[in-house]
Amino acid sequence: MLQALLSTTRGLLNDFMRSWHRPKPVPPPSREVVPPVATNYVPLRRVLITDEVGRTLFEEYSGHRAAERGDEETGWVLLGRREANEAIVLATLPAGSESDAGVAHIRFNSTGQAIASSIVRQQDRRLTTLGIVHTHPGSLRHPSDGDFRGDRHWVQKLRGKEGVFGIGTADGQPVNGSAFAYQPKAHVQCLGELRFSWYALGHGDGNYRPLPVELTIGPDLARPLHAIWPIVEEHAEQLERLYRQQANVRFEVLSDAGNPGLSLTIPLAASGESVRVLLRRKEVCYYLVRGDQMLRADCTDECVDRGVYLMLAELASQA
Amino acid sequence: MDFRPLNDVERRQLINALRGNAESDRAILIDRRDTSFLGTSDEVPDEEVINAIKSVPCHY
Repeated sequence: MLQALLSTTRGLLNDFMRSWHRPKPVPPPSREVVPPVATNYVPLRRVLITDEVGRTLFEEYSGHRAAERGDEETGWVLLGRREANEAIVLATLPAGSESDAGVAHIRFNSTGQAIASSIVRQQDRRLTTLGIVHTHPGSLRHPSDGDFRGDRHWVQKLRGKEGVFGIGTADGQPVNGSAFAYQPKAHVQCLGELRFSWYALGHGDGNYRPLPVELTIGPDLARPLHAIWPIVEEHAEQLERLYRQQANVRFEVLSDAGNPGLSLTIPLAASGESVRVLLRRKEVCYYLVRGDQMLRADCTDECVDRGVYLMLAELASQA
Repeated sequence: MDFRPLNDVERRQLINALRGNAESDRAILIDRRDTSFLGTSDEVPDEEVINAIKSVPCHY
């Protein structure tokens, strides 16, 4: 019995020692956490615009003035990257032909601009709304009091609660012709008679302040869309609904010479299958893509989302 | 399961991420395998961009 007791005690002691010396679980190493980008925004020090964005603004402003509605105001929404103390403009979204504009006001066609922003942001989802540019008919090179009343509230929706505002006027005195742009002041760009003056406005500011503008080499990521802007505006509401309702919708600008358009692709459940819609001026075509095959659908509905859902219903009934 | 206190750097990063989420709708990334904190995303949500665009006021 004593032997049994000793044996049991020895066993318990061995268990205890094994437990004591058992290697403890190694805690997982401290994970390398992706540095957060909770940017501490400070007031903008400058706006950096790419050369193609600069060309867009001057070229389209010039083109607008020469057009039938040239005496009306025009403008663009600016998309880009908001860094801690600077804004980098990488895309321009035109006001649109369906904007509400006159000689002394402009309200952009935001429906077209909204879906266009989604299309542009397929390339870089860090792009955000930075501000706007609009033109004045006379020589008021500064945002008006009416602009301030709206912008002072609107800037709260922007990163850093601060916006970039450009004012276009056509009252410049051409220097050296129109061969190249120059900057008479840090916040002003001039090309020929056209002039853009840049300002910043933060939430709570009592007024706009001049914002130095600098150029860098880079794209206007929205420029391919400008060629098909009437198509974007025509189908904007339906495209936006589809974009919100369907996952992984992809847009592509078709830059066929003479007949540009917009392609919309919605992947289906089966691998390699998708529904594709080609939008051209006064033409909407639906296709079923199966691997390398592209089958034209017998659907001519001009309402894009309805056409897509009719196709999906037909495909579901055949499944 | 590991319950260990965050070190100073991790705590600061998590607080920044929570603040970014609360104030700017910035996404907080988690590891899909164990739901641990992976940092924040500098992607801008569609809603933020579209809301800003759709509320551009009239300009004069």
